[in-house]
Amino acid sequence: METLKAQTATQPQKLMIFVLTMALYGLATLFTELIPSFQVGIVEFSVEYFLFIPLSLAMLFDPMSAALGAATGELVFSEIMLGQFGGLGEVEKFVTVTIGVYIAGRMVRDPRNRRMVAMAAIGGVIIQQFLGMVVDILKVQFAIQDFEAVAGLPESVYATEGFAFLNDVLFSGILFCMLPTMFLVPKLYGKIEPLLGMQPRNEKTYLGSIGWKVIIGSLAAFLLAIGAEFLAENGTALIDWEADWAGSSTALAIGMVVAGVIAVIVVWVLRTRSAKNVEKSA
Amino acid sequence: MKIMQKLSESILDKLSIDFLRNQGLKNAYGNDDTVIASLDSRILILWYLFFGVVPWFVNDIPFLLGCFLLVAITTKLARVAGLVLGLFLLGVFTQTGYLLIVTLLFGGDETAIAPLLVLTLKVATVSLASITVFSGLDPDHLANGLMWYGCPEKLSFSISYAYRMLPLLMEEFQSVLLSYRLRGNPPAHDTFLGKIRYLIYQIRVIIHSFYPLMLNTAKRSRTTVEVLEIKGYRYAAVNKEVKKVKLSTMKVTNNDGMFLALSFLWVAVTILISTLV
Repeated sequence: METLKAQTATQPQKLMIFVLTMALYGLATLFTELIPSFQVGIVEFSVEYFLFIPLSLAMLFDPMSAALGAATGELVFSEIMLGQFGGLGEVEKFVTVTIGVYIAGRMVRDPRNRRMVAMAAIGGVIIQQFLGMVVDILKVQFAIQDFEAVAGLPESVYATEGFAFLNDVLFSGILFCMLPTMFLVPKLYGKIEPLLGMQPRNEKTYLGSIGWKVIIGSLAAFLLAIGAEFLAENGTALIDWEADWAGSSTALAIGMVVAGVIAVIVVWVLRTRSAKNVEKSA
Repeated sequence: MKIMQKLSESILDKLSIDFLRNQGLKNAYGNDDTVIASLDSRILILWYLFFGVVPWFVNDIPFLLGCFLLVAITTKLARVAGLVLGLFLLGVFTQTGYLLIVTLLFGGDETAIAPLLVLTLKVATVSLASITVFSGLDPDHLANGLMWYGCPEKLSFSISYAYRMLPLLMEEFQSVLLSYRLRGNPPAHDTFLGKIRYLIYQIRVIIHSFYPLMLNTAKRSRTTVEVLEIKGYRYAAVNKEVKKVKLSTMKVTNNDGMFLALSFLWVAVTILISTLV
């Protein structure tokens, strides 16, 4: 009767999947950060990412752990280790990668079915890239003052982002996500699961149907992304207002400088004193 | 033709895994003795929150320039690895240079340069601040600092784990890759078509080598998690006592106060200048 249950993992197994995906995808993103992209005509050839690794693992194991592991791996290995941590932008990347990988992992009922695997892989890439494109366009609109006033800028942003989206889906998506996933998933099926002490996924142990659960999940994800954007917008207004207020008064700025000088002097005095104390006690 | 040749050469140069590993390790552990690394991680994270967020929302050029200069100085103090700085320059250029070219293509003129300059300054300031904090700090200090602020235990575990495992993983990946290359028969690459075929062959080998790597890493992550379970990791992660013991080594000193005070003074002066201009 055990085998008829949905494919769930125990807590330690979830941690194993998390660690596995994090380490592998982190390593791969580290490489992609360093492989330069080059252009032939207007098509940019870049190994955008090795998303096939978390995609394959999400199709074989618990999708949520694999998705979270992939997003964390990218964050830790390629962003924090290389010092490219971009603050707000990373939240968006984390969320979109998690959503894309999770949905792709949930879509596969039978990992041996190559067509299903291919569709899920490309679907995951499209979701991830589309969300990323929307957030990118909004981000540029926030960062540049009088966005609409600059001639040619809005169109150019839509064009570059739209083109980058198509380029990433058609080139990186097919070459670096769909084909490797089609090759790896059936090959790994039945071999990698026992290493983590798990049953291979099949029609009976498949985690829920594609139906409403996934739709609700993606809707919630969309709401999350949009909510984050609104939060950023409100934050803009708040901080802008404060900065204007601070910038309008020279007297206030002078006060801040005086406060800064006093703070430096106070810390300096404290430092020399504590140094003397150390000498005395020594 | 020449350009293609140069490109494929530079790609193969960059693919040297030893180079990557050395730079990564240097970045992580090579600069423990800098001024930045000796500061308390909590203070630095606080500092980063200011310089990583505020520049996005301010459009005042003197203020942005001042912030940029300050983070440039701190990056110099942190003695960041060359690879990281190279990537930073590449990133800033591609992000805004590309946008500028396309803007001109769509009929924009010189007026587009000013807002793009502001955007470049913002991007540069924010990324240099993050380079200072995340590559200037020891990974363990960073993980502890994040934990003190209540970040999920999984994140600080991931950071410590990643820095320790990365050299091992890279070595393993390299040996798998080399064994594939030894057994493989690469296509001739003296013609243009052959070069493309050679590049495709290289990428295929990289993708194929992930198959044994996935199986090996699966075994290794099982061992890791089992060891963690034996040590009671999942209970320790949520236990307040354990956290207290773990974080007891962190201490804010006068140096941290000095760092914050000097940064504050600098920002105050830039604000003063921007009101005078």
